[in-house]
Amino acid sequence: MPSDTVLIIGGGPAGLTAARAVGELGGRALVVETRERLGGMPDEANYAALTPDFRPASEAVAEMVAAVEALPGVSVRTSTRVTAREGEAGDFRLTLASGEATEVVEAGAVIIATGFQHFDPGRETQMYGYYEYEDVLTLQDLEAQLKEHRVVVPSTGKAPETLCFIQCVGSRDRRIGNTWCSKVCCGIASKEAIEVKRLAPQCKVFIFYIDMRMYGFWEDQLYWKAQEEHHVQFIRGIVTEVIRRGEKLVVKGEDTTMGRPVEAPMDMVVLSVGMEPSRGTVEMSKVLGVPLESHGFIAAPGNPLDTVTTEVPGIFVAGAAAGPKDLEDTVGMAGLAAARAVALLRTAASTAQPVG
Amino acid sequence: MTVPVVREATPERKAEIFGKVVADVRFQDYVHGCYECGICVAACPSARFYDFSPRKITQAVCREDLDLFWEHVNVDVWNCSQCFSCDRCPRGNSPGGLITIMREVAVTAGLRSAKEALEGGERVVYKIMSTGTQVSPDMLQPEAFPDWGPDVQDVSRNLDLWRRALPPETLHTTTTAWEIDDKTLVELYLIWHMTGVLDMIKAVDEGLHMILNDVMEELLEDHDIVVS
Repeated sequence: MPSDTVLIIGGGPAGLTAARAVGELGGRALVVETRERLGGMPDEANYAALTPDFRPASEAVAEMVAAVEALPGVSVRTSTRVTAREGEAGDFRLTLASGEATEVVEAGAVIIATGFQHFDPGRETQMYGYYEYEDVLTLQDLEAQLKEHRVVVPSTGKAPETLCFIQCVGSRDRRIGNTWCSKVCCGIASKEAIEVKRLAPQCKVFIFYIDMRMYGFWEDQLYWKAQEEHHVQFIRGIVTEVIRRGEKLVVKGEDTTMGRPVEAPMDMVVLSVGMEPSRGTVEMSKVLGVPLESHGFIAAPGNPLDTVTTEVPGIFVAGAAAGPKDLEDTVGMAGLAAARAVALLRTAASTAQPVG
Repeated sequence: MTVPVVREATPERKAEIFGKVVADVRFQDYVHGCYECGICVAACPSARFYDFSPRKITQAVCREDLDLFWEHVNVDVWNCSQCFSCDRCPRGNSPGGLITIMREVAVTAGLRSAKEALEGGERVVYKIMSTGTQVSPDMLQPEAFPDWGPDVQDVSRNLDLWRRALPPETLHTTTTAWEIDDKTLVELYLIWHMTGVLDMIKAVDEGLHMILNDVMEELLEDHDIVVS
């Protein structure tokens, strides 16, 4: 008998949106999340405000979780992993492990929503001194400060007088093997720069970039706003290294549009780390037998017109498990994945009914 | 060719001059933010012949880079022909307008570089402002325009001869000119008084200001007009 349940792996924005859509379409969904609670990366990495509307992330996440919990057709298992798959589309049997306990559940379709992880700036390269200097942070480290409505230099506890972002750390880099653009870091750095200027107006804020990729409305909502209203300085040129000189960090780079070298003292350096396939994404590829594309994310061979269908019938993908995504793309994909999964289940159910 | 020297200035002086530019009422309309795309340079005739970039001038101001701004306000702004070809910026900036402000600030703040840059214009200003009519070739000071090339020296030296080779009488000299009627001249004089142009000339060249003022006062008095 075909199962009427969509198993959704991952309880972040993609998984929660997919679960809500399945529930609202009258289907049954089971959300499996390895962490002890729902919310995904915005919750795990302490995001302060969403891009581009500056809405508190915790508020938005709580709303997504509440919407899912209110639907009778949706159930949730936290602190649970998927460890094995058997069966085919319409009739999957998946092993769930929670601590020592395991259980096999049935599902007609699966949506992989296992997201991304932030590039580790200590991997492959140490030139920015992330593990060496306390005052070198990542985007999400700064988010954690912003969530508490403060910006402080970790080594002194004081507000910074100079702060810079370095873009494309772990992205667009053949040397480290991540050749893709992570899509959101330009917008997020600009958003954080605005938040820094709001909290510490006297601080001089710089963004060192290769290209500013501020597509769509982010152009004037974030880039122009940062530059024109908050006087954030965008310098085209990537920093080659961060060194310590006395009390300050010094960033060395080239101001390419002005044609001159730059050596600027900074109180804080924020690395705009990109997106990599999360451990969960890589693991689910193996457990479910779903191929990855060349960058290591879940392959959706029907791209660009079908963003959610993987190479395994009945298994769909949503959000950053399939590659770098902003929230708009993520929730859009989640809706499509839910629709495809529910459609598959209904077709399976109708063809399985005895005739006459 | 002499290159004007950017004199050393204190950071306070640079900040003061920069502050005057930013405080100008037009600044908000002329400078938003710079993409550094170069469309203004691509359109700029001066940029084709000089080491001149309206982008760098705008960029330095956006970046609040006082040292670079100081260089620009002393040297580069005088390489602009104020044609406003650069008014095609996708961000709505007007580099030419910014340069107008920077020039005015350079003059009114009495930067020595501004005086030097305008030296060659003394006779031109005198002719236009006193007679209300055009510049004529015999007023050129060839040494003030080295970038016009070597021919201008030769032409200036033998201008009478060249002139005699032209069939019609051009009236195009300092001593002859198309006549401007008094009503127009009075209007022009009043405009220069009331808009502060004369004050600006005073800041650059007191001698020229004195001569112009005398000429203007005489005509204005004839028409019973008193300007303070």
